[in-house]
Amino acid sequence: MIELKDVTKVYYKGTPKEVKAVDGISLEIAKGEMVVLKGPSGSGKTTLLTLIGCLSRPTRGRVLVAGKDTSRLQEPFLTFHRRMHVGFVFQQYHLIPDISVYENILLPLYPLDMTSQEMEERVEDALRKLRIKGKEAYRAKDLSGGEQQRVAIARALVTDPEIILADEPTANLDTHLSRDFLKIMDGLKEEGKTIVIASHDPLVYEHKGVDRVIEMRDGRLVGCS
Amino acid sequence: MSKERHKHILSFSITSLLRRKGKNLSIFLIYTLMVFLLGSVVFFVSAIKREAATTLKGAPDIVVQQIRAGRHDLIPTEYMEKVRTIRGVTKVIPRVWGYYFDGPTQSNYTIIGMDGESYEAFRDRIPFLSPEEAPIGNGKVLIGKGIARSRGLKRGGHFYLLRSDGGLKTFEVSGIFSGRSSLLTHDLIVMSEKDVRELFLIPARYSIDLAVYVRNKEEIETIARKIGEVLPGTRAVIKEQITKSYETVFGWRSGLVFTALLGTVLAFAILSWDKATGLSADERKEIGILKALGWRIEDILEMKFWEGLTISLTAFLAGIILAYIHIFFFGSYLVAPAIKGWSVLYPPFNLNPYMDAGEVFMVFFITVVPYTVATLIPVWRSSTIDPDEVIRGI
Amino acid sequence: MGRLKHLLAVYGILSLLLAGMVLHAILSTHAAKSVLEERERLVSMLGLTDLCLTTEARYTRHPSQADYFTPFQDNPMSLELFPSGGAMAPPSFKEIPRKMVVKDE
Repeated sequence: MIELKDVTKVYYKGTPKEVKAVDGISLEIAKGEMVVLKGPSGSGKTTLLTLIGCLSRPTRGRVLVAGKDTSRLQEPFLTFHRRMHVGFVFQQYHLIPDISVYENILLPLYPLDMTSQEMEERVEDALRKLRIKGKEAYRAKDLSGGEQQRVAIARALVTDPEIILADEPTANLDTHLSRDFLKIMDGLKEEGKTIVIASHDPLVYEHKGVDRVIEMRDGRLVGCS
Repeated sequence: MSKERHKHILSFSITSLLRRKGKNLSIFLIYTLMVFLLGSVVFFVSAIKREAATTLKGAPDIVVQQIRAGRHDLIPTEYMEKVRTIRGVTKVIPRVWGYYFDGPTQSNYTIIGMDGESYEAFRDRIPFLSPEEAPIGNGKVLIGKGIARSRGLKRGGHFYLLRSDGGLKTFEVSGIFSGRSSLLTHDLIVMSEKDVRELFLIPARYSIDLAVYVRNKEEIETIARKIGEVLPGTRAVIKEQITKSYETVFGWRSGLVFTALLGTVLAFAILSWDKATGLSADERKEIGILKALGWRIEDILEMKFWEGLTISLTAFLAGIILAYIHIFFFGSYLVAPAIKGWSVLYPPFNLNPYMDAGEVFMVFFITVVPYTVATLIPVWRSSTIDPDEVIRGI
Repeated sequence: MGRLKHLLAVYGILSLLLAGMVLHAILSTHAAKSVLEERERLVSMLGLTDLCLTTEARYTRHPSQADYFTPFQDNPMSLELFPSGGAMAPPSFKEIPRKMVVKDE
C-alpha cells in the first residue's frame, strides 16, 4: 500500500536554517496494517506522515502510495491522489473554527462534484459513526477537545479513503478519550483501512490492535517491533 | 466539470464571507460608497452633456463679436450686411442683450432683447408660455422662474432695474417661463430690443453681437474663416466651440470631483492592496487546510473568486442604483454644487435620466476587476505551495 | 444550500432594480421628448447659446462671451492673472432699497 524508498526531506534548503527532517528512510506498509511511528518530538514523525499523506514531496527518494510514485507528481495530480486515497487527522485538528461542525465535515466533499443529497448522506454517516450527531450545528471552536478530534476524524473519513493518517492524536486527550480514539481506529482497521499513527504516547504504541511500531530518531529509523 | 462543484464552492464562499462579517461589511460599504460617488459624477456629467447637446441644437451656428483692445465690444449693426453677402449664410440677426448684476439679491440676470419682427414670428406659440402671457415691449417683459422667486414677482407685478446712467426703469411682468425650462430660462429677462437699449444705453447703430445661421452645417468653419477675412476686427465663435467648452468645463470639473474623491479611492486601494499583499495567517492556514483536504488550486481560486465577485458585484450594483436614484430622483444633491459651479440663482432642474452603457462599464471595470484580481493573486501564491508548509507556516 | 438561495435572491432584487432603472431611463427619455423639442424652439427663438447652469461664472453661462483667459481664472489651482482682479469688488448697493417690488397690482 505504502512504500518509501530512501526518502529524505530537507526544510529551508540552502539557508542557514536548513533542517534534514527525514533522512534516507525506506519503509513498507501493507494494506490493512495499523502502524505507529514512535519517537520524541523533532524526530521527523510528522514530516514522514505528511510525505505519506502527499501533503509534501520528498527532497530525495521515492514515495509510492496506492501504487503510484507521488514524489514526481505535478501538484494538481498530487492533490488528486491525496483526495482519492488519504484522510489526515492533524495534531491540532485544523478545523475551521468559526463554521459549523457540519460544514467542516463537508469541506473535503465540495470539490468532488457530488449531488447535495449524496453529500448529506456521507456526512450523516460520518456523524453517526463518530457519535457526534446532535452537535452538527455547533461551531467547531465551541466543542471540547475530544469532540473536535472526532470531527477531525469524521472529516478525514467522509471521502472514504483507504489510508488514515493521524498525527499525535492523543496529545490533547485524557486517558478515557484516548482509549475511545483507539477503539475508533480498531473499527476502521476492521473495515480494511490502512492506518498510520505518529505518537509517543505509550497508550497508543502499546495498544494491542497495533501491528507494528516503528521507532524514529533524528529523521532516521532506529527500530522496528 | 459539472455544475454541482461550482454550486458547492459558491455556497461555501458565501459561508466564508459571512464568517468575517465585520471586515467584509466594511469593505462592502466603502466599495458601495466609491461606486456611488463615481457613478453619480458619471451619470451627472453625461446627462448634462447630453442635455446641452440636444438643447443647443437650435443655437446660432456662428456668433460674431467685435474685439477692441483684446476685449469684446459693441459691434456696428451695419456689419450684418457684409456677413449676409457671404455664400451659404441664411440669416444674420444682430443681438442686443447683456448681463445685469442685481445688488439686492446679489445675483446676475441675463437680459435678452428681441426685435418686434422676429418676436412676432413666434408670437402665437412661445415655448413654455401660454399665448395670453406673451406680450413684450414698452416695459412689458417675460422672466424666468428664478428671478420671479428671488424677487417675489407674479404676473402683472412691477419691478425696477438700474439703468447704466443711474436712473431707474420700471418693468411689468407679462409672463413667467414655466419651471420645465429652467435649464435655459432661470435667470432670463426677455424684453423688447428698445427696452434693452434704454436700460444699457446702447447706441442705436450698435449691437452686442451678430448671430449667424448657415445652410450647410459642413461649411460653418469655412464661413467663420471668411467672416474673419471680411471683418478683420471681429472674432467668430462657432457652435461647436461652445459645445466643446462645455465638454471641457465638465471634463475638468468632474476631474476635480474625482480628485476630491481621491481619498476614498486611495482608502479603497490600500484596502485592496492589503488584501493583495498580505493574507492573514489564518487565511493562509485555511488555504493549507483546504488543500490538505483535497481542494485543488483551481477550487481554492474559484472560491476566492466567488468571494471577491460577490462583494464587488453586489457593491457595484448597489452603488450604481443608489447613484442613479441620487442623480435623477434627488436632484444630484451631493455632486451638483461641485460640478455645476457656484451660483446665487441656482436653477433647480431635473436632469433627464440618461445612461451611457460605455461609461457604466468603465465604472464597472475600474472597480470590480482590480478588486477581484487583487483578491486572487495572494491566494494563487500561497495555494501553489505544498499544504504542509502552508499549515506549518514554513 | 440556503445561502445560495439568499445570494440569488439579493441578485434577483438588484437586477430587478437595475432593469427598472434602465426602463425608467428609456421611458423618461421618451416622455421628455416634447420638453426637449420645446426647449429647442425656445433656443432658436431667443438665439441662446448656453445653458443657465450657474449665473455667476462668465464662461459657463456664456462661453461665447468669455475672454480667452477667463476659464483659467476660475480654476482653483490658478493664481490671479491680473492684480486688479484681486482688488476690484462689485459696487456697493447700500443706497438701493433691499425690496425692489414697488407696485404690485
